[in-house]
Amino acid sequence: MSNTIIRFENVTKVFDDHIVLDNVSFEIERGKFYTLLGPSGCGKTTILRLIAGFVEPTQGNIYIDENCVNKIPANLRPVNTVFQDYALFPHLNVFENVAFGLRIKKVSAHEVKERVANALKFVNLEGFENREITEMSGGQRQRVAIARAIVNQPQLVLLDEPLSALDLKLRTEMQYELRELQQRLGITFVFVTHDQEEALAMSDEIFVLNKGTIQQSGTPTDIYDEPINRFVADFIGESNIVEGTMLADNLVSFANRTFDCVDMGFNQNEPVEVIIRPEDLEMTSAETGKIPVKVDSQLFRGVHYEICCYDDFKNEWLVHSTKKVEVGSTIGLDFDPEAIHIMRLGETEAEFDKRLEAYED
Amino acid sequence: MEKQKKWFANSYLLLVFAILYAPIIFLAIYSFNSGGSMVGFEEFTFEWYQELFTDTRLFIILLNTLVVALLSATIATIVGIAGALAIHTIENTKYKSMLLTLNNILIVSPDVIIGASFLILFTVMGISLGFFSVLLSHIAFSIPIVVIMILPKLKEMSPSLIDAAQDLGASRWQVISRVILPYITSGIFAGFFTALTFSLDDFAVTFFVTGNGFNTLAVEVYSLARQGISLKINALSTIIFMITLILVLGYYFLSTRKKPVMIGGDE
Ligand SMILES: Nc1ncnc2c1ncn2[C@@H]1O[C@H](COP(=O)(O)OP(=O)(O)OP(=O)(O)O)[C@@H](O)[C@H]1O
Ligand SMILES: [Mg+2]
Repeated sequence: MSNTIIRFENVTKVFDDHIVLDNVSFEIERGKFYTLLGPSGCGKTTILRLIAGFVEPTQGNIYIDENCVNKIPANLRPVNTVFQDYALFPHLNVFENVAFGLRIKKVSAHEVKERVANALKFVNLEGFENREITEMSGGQRQRVAIARAIVNQPQLVLLDEPLSALDLKLRTEMQYELRELQQRLGITFVFVTHDQEEALAMSDEIFVLNKGTIQQSGTPTDIYDEPINRFVADFIGESNIVEGTMLADNLVSFANRTFDCVDMGFNQNEPVEVIIRPEDLEMTSAETGKIPVKVDSQLFRGVHYEICCYDDFKNEWLVHSTKKVEVGSTIGLDFDPEAIHIMRLGETEAEFDKRLEAYED
Repeated sequence: MEKQKKWFANSYLLLVFAILYAPIIFLAIYSFNSGGSMVGFEEFTFEWYQELFTDTRLFIILLNTLVVALLSATIATIVGIAGALAIHTIENTKYKSMLLTLNNILIVSPDVIIGASFLILFTVMGISLGFFSVLLSHIAFSIPIVVIMILPKLKEMSPSLIDAAQDLGASRWQVISRVILPYITSGIFAGFFTALTFSLDDFAVTFFVTGNGFNTLAVEVYSLARQGISLKINALSTIIFMITLILVLGYYFLSTRKKPVMIGGDE
């Protein structure tokens, strides 16, 4: 059995002259947790609906287990969905909601009982069988929706922003539960969110989407440490992005100074964008720091202070630190060569991967 | 001040209802009058009811009326459900609103016009006037009512419920029978009972399209009243009123027993 469960081949989706997905290709492997991450309206739900079979691609092909499923209706696909609004059936109680798929498949009453009980146990809802849906809280409903999907033992579960309606505490709790559930079941999850922290915390692989195209795909650390462009860098956490020039391999200039870095494979004097994450910046005295900056404002964020500074060239520098500074004072910023990440302007994902490979070995 | 306002509102409401119901109650009371006319109540009697119940002709008419009402309401409900589902699934909004408007025009247009046009239609098509023509016309004027009662329930239903059912393997028919129909049950009941009462008390349309000695109660009461005053009419009207009352109460009981519920991420 091939390890690829879903394959999109140059899929384009157009809704009334509006291109929602533009020539998208990707593969999804068995048993992993995937996240589709992107701003509102970028086409995340559309990808899920294409996989589930609620819409057909305008162009291109979708393969499940290497069979083209373009013309296969949703009810015949080995995929189950957890909907954003849960879509639980209001006229059925918890047990019957979970049993819905099994009843359609004419599974014997005895087996239905056993499997539903198991599924409810999986999501920690034992003893809720006879509750009406209206008697369940938001988090409980979400778990009923998950139980209703996994009870069918699908190869693939699609989850469309299932946590967005929950409060922060419950959401974090459910993130752990979902991740753990996926690993226990060993099936593939495709999870949609526009919350980058959620994506980073839960996924094996992240697809970052914008305006109907996949900007970058990779593991959470890949995407966080080596964003391919400004959009990804901005979307995945906060970052300081300044203009710079690549003087030579491992040597970059920005803020009118020259710094060592670990990036290579650029042309000489190529204009680039330089990224340093706020948590990689250390505050020292103005004399010892690599860049002298003036503190503009300071915000308490609970775990850390978010300090906003400006250097002499009007570049903004965000710093995350547990230490407090005085607003208006001049301080120095220090960082390691590894903290610097260089982005080539307008580089595609394929070119980016090629360049990384070239200098990694 | 507030209390006084409320007292005024209540008594006003009471007065309006008293005026509305007075003729019926007046009529019902005189159906027990042994005097034989509506002037002066003489003695309490079941005479008129006895006369009514021994009148087999009237009994057959009553049966006719009930059969037409039950049959037409049932058929109209089935057709209406299909119609509402069809209108609901139309994606083209212009076409959809056009169909809805056509539907509503049928509801608001005067019975006399509907009756007359059916009469013309049946004569042109060579359909003989009688049970069948009455049944057909009752079905026809009931369908738009059923559609209008069911559509709001369909609109209220989240489209993701249908996606969810399909996602769980339901075929198109299973989606309808296991998700959509249970969801719109209260609308179906409302449509059925409204169609039933519309058929039971229809006079104008039936008057046009009936023939061959086939009669319904409304038409019969009309012709009885034209023949001259008989308290038999009072007795008959009282019975019809009681039946309608029971139907309405029955519907009320059914619709409040199980409250429709909304499901969402949070309330
Ligand atoms: N059935 C449809 N008809 C027309 N346009 C549609 C339809 N479904 C989606 N779109 C459009 O496609 C685009 C992408 O929609 P999609 O639902 O995939 O976004 P999303 O990434 O899931 O956004 P969100 O985070 O807000 O849920 C949007 O611009 C939307 O207006
Ligand atoms: Mg969406």
